[in-house]
Amino acid sequence: MLAPALAAAAILVLLPVIDTLWLSLHDVILYRPRVRPFIGLGNYTRALADPVFWESLTNSLVWVICAVSLQFTLGFATALLLNRNFAWRGIARALVVVPWALPSVIIGLIWTWMLDFNLGVLNNIGVLLGILPHSVPWLAQSSTAMAGVILAVVWQGFPFFAVTLLAGLQAIPGELYEAASIDGAGAWGKFRHITLPGLAGVIATALLLRMIWVANSLDLILVMTGGGPGTATQTLPLHAFLTAWSGGNYGQGSALAVLLTLLLLGVVVSYVWRNRAE
Amino acid sequence: MKRRTLLTGAAATLAATPLARPHAQKPVTIRWWYHFDDPKATPDELVAAFEKENPGIRIEPENIPWGGGGDYDNRLYTSIIANNAPDAAMVKFNNLARLMEMDALAPLDKWIDAWPGKRDITDDLWRLHTAPDGKRYYMPLQYVVLYLYVRLDLLAKQNLKVPTNFDEFLTAAKALTGGEQWGFGMRGGSGGHDSWMPFAFGTGAKPVKGGFVSPAALAQNRFFIDLHRVHKVTPPSAPTDAFLQIVNNLKAGRVAMTVHHISTANTMVETFGDAITAVPVPRGPNGSGFATFGDGSTCVFSASRNPEAAWKWISWLSTGPNNVLYNKAAGQMTVTTSGAANWTLHPKRFVDATVQSLPIAGVLPNLPQTADFTRVVWPQNTQKALLGQIQPDDMMQAFEKLFFG
Repeated sequence: MLAPALAAAAILVLLPVIDTLWLSLHDVILYRPRVRPFIGLGNYTRALADPVFWESLTNSLVWVICAVSLQFTLGFATALLLNRNFAWRGIARALVVVPWALPSVIIGLIWTWMLDFNLGVLNNIGVLLGILPHSVPWLAQSSTAMAGVILAVVWQGFPFFAVTLLAGLQAIPGELYEAASIDGAGAWGKFRHITLPGLAGVIATALLLRMIWVANSLDLILVMTGGGPGTATQTLPLHAFLTAWSGGNYGQGSALAVLLTLLLLGVVVSYVWRNRAE
Repeated sequence: MKRRTLLTGAAATLAATPLARPHAQKPVTIRWWYHFDDPKATPDELVAAFEKENPGIRIEPENIPWGGGGDYDNRLYTSIIANNAPDAAMVKFNNLARLMEMDALAPLDKWIDAWPGKRDITDDLWRLHTAPDGKRYYMPLQYVVLYLYVRLDLLAKQNLKVPTNFDEFLTAAKALTGGEQWGFGMRGGSGGHDSWMPFAFGTGAKPVKGGFVSPAALAQNRFFIDLHRVHKVTPPSAPTDAFLQIVNNLKAGRVAMTVHHISTANTMVETFGDAITAVPVPRGPNGSGFATFGDGSTCVFSASRNPEAAWKWISWLSTGPNNVLYNKAAGQMTVTTSGAANWTLHPKRFVDATVQSLPIAGVLPNLPQTADFTRVVWPQNTQKALLGQIQPDDMMQAFEKLFFG
């Protein structure tokens, strides 16, 4: 009974993983197809000796931690808001999904132009309202570029948390809140003792999934900054992509991808463990 | 005897039938990959005209997404590895070395030397289209040479003349900077290496081994970086400004000069009329200069089953009126002397600036690392230097190391 599923998993997951591992042990240059010598861990030692790897790793940590925590906070707040009764609630619930439904490339382009130094609407509004003394080249300064791309990914990703947590909120029985009210619990007490415990499972799963997705994603950064200025927004998957795609160095690119997978393994194992426990 | 005659006659008749010679009726199909910047432009008119003149050859054009060059190149490499390469394709110098390393290119010398249109293409262009091994694998199809756009009205207000050397350029850039206007629209983002090269190699250094770290190149590169860091004659967004930013800034009057090429001439004239012109990029004190050559070439792949037909197609595209028609779609300059003489696609002053720049036109080293240089190594290091994270000399060391170890 399990054979078709196992076969599909082997073809779609296991084979590419094994192939990537095999590539990472060879000197594979795209434009030298006839020569691909076995070099053992050469690609790994070269990657780890490269300062760009460590810069990219640091950027990845900042990117994942900031993006996921801000998405979660905003998504949770939105879910609590959408769980209340108000006019046009159905429309609001539908609209909140829009950023999640847009392709990353479109979102990247929208935010690139909104943050543009010369024509960007955010600079324009900021200067008009007196918040900014003058236009700021948000994506051209290493001090603000990462914040710019994080802003875009937060906007893109918060609906995931909003929708997931909203579903979780609706699964909490209303009687619990009524009983707590009778017992004299305030809003904070109900949130702390009913809402949070009731959502704990959903929150943990959503956080784990989103961490994996954000850690792996590179499309938004690629469109908005290409990893620049310099390497200010270059994350590990983008470093692997540029090494393979632009440099034609598929061996080194595969090694970087394997290293990223190993780093993410902790999160993946937690996710699998949670699923098994449930 | 009679029997032999009969058999010979039958064989001859059979050989003459379409069954025995299917190729006599079925035209040869040439798969051709191309890309036009303008998504609305198509080669349909050209293909129809060629097929009418050459009924035995059918052209199958395939518009390949450009993706900054990387997508196009990687699709090309993977198609070659998978034995599914087209017969001919549009190509650029920055992938010549990689394609040579793959033995993917058919040498064109024999055909070029016998081609009647050879003399209609200048020696400068043939020089630039010669590979490091002395052979010619690329056929000139279109070209641009980067020049300097200058707002004449803004210069006139400052009583300045059009800059011809780097000192005059800096003086003009400083005078034209103030408030929300900057003297020079620097391109530190994607594709910016093209407008950086006239500065780095403008006083005699060459992009060859040792050239990137020669005293002339180092000094000129410091001059380039200082335009942003010290003199502040460029917009603060210069480290990441790319094509759209430099063009829009010039059109919006936010910058007074920028380096680009003839493909944007018409839009500039629409905006400014006679108030804008183009001149060759500034030169060094000894008259030396370097104008970046932007090629668009075609090649025949060595794996093509019909190389003669593929050559017929690409040489047809580079012939006088056909090449003019082609470049109307591509928006670039014809490679033919006859076509340039009656060129009406762009105003004459922009054509003159392009043609006058040809003698000092040059390209990056033809090495496999060139594509990585243009897409990753140049922007990363230049942006770091522009932001003060590394010294200008460090970036040149990084370039020399990438190319020559």
